[in-house]
Amino acid sequence: MPDALNQVFSALADPSRRHLLGYLADHGTATTTEMSGELPMTRQAVAKHLATLSGAGLVESERAGREIRYRLTATGEEWDERLERLLALVSRDRPDGA
Amino acid sequence: MIRKEIVLPAPRDEVWQALTDPEQLADWFANDVELDLRPGGDAYFGWDNGEQRRATVTDVEPGERLAFSWEDEGEVEFTLADDVDGTRLTVVETAPAWTTALDLQASALALA
Repeated sequence: MPDALNQVFSALADPSRRHLLGYLADHGTATTTEMSGELPMTRQAVAKHLATLSGAGLVESERAGREIRYRLTATGEEWDERLERLLALVSRDRPDGA
Repeated sequence: MIRKEIVLPAPRDEVWQALTDPEQLADWFANDVELDLRPGGDAYFGWDNGEQRRATVTDVEPGERLAFSWEDEGEVEFTLADDVDGTRLTVVETAPAWTTALDLQASALALA
């Protein structure tokens, strides 16, 4: 089995990590502190699990000011935004939408 | 794999222009675009947040299909088709390493 796939399966094998994925799915983004505040896990445990999840490509992070926010790896939302802009571009001279 | 489809109120040649003219690409795809429109040609996309990606054009069929392959990983394919309301554009992006991860994400959430 390819390494990448092994990492995914190992990451998913742990119920705490599945809880974190579920939390991110519900909340969009969250910090380690927010997650440890609402789930029965210490901040250190959350950080460790997030490292495993992001190593498997399931979770990504971005720095927002002083904090790091985590979210599920993009599933095409960036394409939705790009296509919205493309639609606006080609519609620009067509107010009637024809 | 990510697959998106949209119907654009413009004829195919106009949509093709929007997909291949660097100036128009800079309006919707990235902020700074360079594109050598031929198979094997280089493409560069820069975003205002500092992100930069390079790609190689893999297929150019004017008015029908444009494909490029990201330097790091993955491929993007645009396909154009006529539609009663203009042009139907289909985008498919594949990225081998995390495609499976994304497919499995849904299963993971079901188990959570």
